[in-house]
Amino acid sequence: MSDINIKKVSYLAKLELNEEKAALYEKSLSEIIEWVDNLKKLDTEGVEPLHNITEKSQNLRNDEVLKENSTEQVLSNAPEKAQNFFRVPKVVE
Amino acid sequence: MPTIKEIKNQLSNKNISVQELYNDYYDKAKKSKLNSFNHLVDPEYNKENINSSQARYDEGKDLSLDGIPLGIKDLFCTKGVPTTASSKILEKFIPEYESRVTQNLLNDGSLFLGKNNCDEFAMGSSNETSFFGPVINPWKNKNNTDSQLVPGGSSGGSASAVAEGICVASIGTDTGGSIRQPASLCGVVGLKPTFGSCSRWGVVAFASSLDQAGPITNSVEDAAYLLNSISSHDPNDSTCSSHKRDNFIESVGKSFDRPITVGIPSDYLKDINSDIAEQIENTKKHLSKLNVNIVDVEFTTTDFALSTYYILAPAEASSNLARYDGIRYGYRGEGNTLEEIYVNSRSEGFGEEVIRRILIGTYVLSAGYYDAYYRKAQKVRRLIKNDFQRIYNEVDFILTPTTPNEAFQIGKKLDPISMYMNDIFTVPTSLAGLPAISLPSGLSNNGLPLGIQLIGNYFQEKSLLQMASLLEKEFCFNE
Repeated sequence: MSDINIKKVSYLAKLELNEEKAALYEKSLSEIIEWVDNLKKLDTEGVEPLHNITEKSQNLRNDEVLKENSTEQVLSNAPEKAQNFFRVPKVVE
Repeated sequence: MPTIKEIKNQLSNKNISVQELYNDYYDKAKKSKLNSFNHLVDPEYNKENINSSQARYDEGKDLSLDGIPLGIKDLFCTKGVPTTASSKILEKFIPEYESRVTQNLLNDGSLFLGKNNCDEFAMGSSNETSFFGPVINPWKNKNNTDSQLVPGGSSGGSASAVAEGICVASIGTDTGGSIRQPASLCGVVGLKPTFGSCSRWGVVAFASSLDQAGPITNSVEDAAYLLNSISSHDPNDSTCSSHKRDNFIESVGKSFDRPITVGIPSDYLKDINSDIAEQIENTKKHLSKLNVNIVDVEFTTTDFALSTYYILAPAEASSNLARYDGIRYGYRGEGNTLEEIYVNSRSEGFGEEVIRRILIGTYVLSAGYYDAYYRKAQKVRRLIKNDFQRIYNEVDFILTPTTPNEAFQIGKKLDPISMYMNDIFTVPTSLAGLPAISLPSGLSNNGLPLGIQLIGNYFQEKSLLQMASLLEKEFCFNE
């Protein structure tokens, strides 16, 4: 069995699970991690990790400011806004 | 089902107007009971586009996809049209910008009929994880006509809608099989292009090193039409290739002027059922008729592909989905502090499978496990890529089944690992970033469609579509 601490993992993921769900996910994750553990059987000594499959150099843009969105557009989907800002609970006393 | 070319001829010959065509598909889509659209765009909203398309036909200056009503997977940002990723967390999200892929399609004159239902954040293989309910496959098991079947996933709405004929074609996305698997289960064509062919700009991100847009269509030729439009360089996606794209239609239906070799991996065929084995045997016969050399090949990494995928894809997903915090867009849960808002928005906004993947991803990336899982999987990914390249030294294409089974019943409640096994034949190609097409090849004993997968080498979509078109003619699936 793997040593999954579901409380810690869900805390890191900013997810809250009730006791029942936590137990279900802990079991499910343990099974999945055990299932993927077969990778340990493969010798990968000296193999470079693959990050970008085509391994071409990435096409970077020039560092130029483009104005493609208005403040109004950026805020259009905000759950709460005030003037030109996203509105959140007070974060400093 | 009429092809894009045939519909364009009808429009050019004034047998039907763009408005009539749109209304016709819109009415059919509205009446459909298969839940394949999350949102339909009414004719009034599209009026301007319909009129300008008609004007171009009237002047004889029609564009490559002019007037063609398309479905778009609800994962592409479409300006002013709701884009939900089939998730509660984006239920009310209306993008202020257009994704590159959909902008290309609009630039080529196509019309968007609506947004296709899919698995939530494209995570699923049966379209049952959608917040808006499962999509139903238009096909029925002839030995059990009462039961409703899944269309596959995650682009299940796209495949179901194309198979039902309520849109001409649809654009889906494929991360581990999400275009090819539903295409196979619904009896339509599905193409996943090489990673880097189509821009990911404006596509709701799942796993950024794997996600790729592609067409779901009724014919190989239609897939070529759509690929011509959606495959282009985009400065807004740094992984999108800048090479000059082929014209993918040119070679469709033409014989090869060189000898072609197709490899069939024996390790893929170890445990397949008789329905699936028959598709491969049948395809071999047709390939022989086409004078294609068939050789046995064997991978050494197949048994490790799903494990690699189920480490890498959730890891990338957990990182990508960190943006849903209830602050800038999307669902916001109640809370007196920032932390409470984050936690409540995410816990209430994400569905069960999405939470599972975020948790897996968070675990494999967490301190102490990163090297053992994430880094290990990235190394194995290189071995998988090398495995394919070794085989491409000998063959032009690789032939495999697309899926290990026919469409199954909605609500069957597979455990996660059994569900993940649906993508056993599509995931290795995704990890290698190679282009692959699923082509309907025949019916199972229950009368359900099955597909075969043809895999090409990097950016060889032109010859891949050519090979697929020759096989398509042999299969006569649509007749």
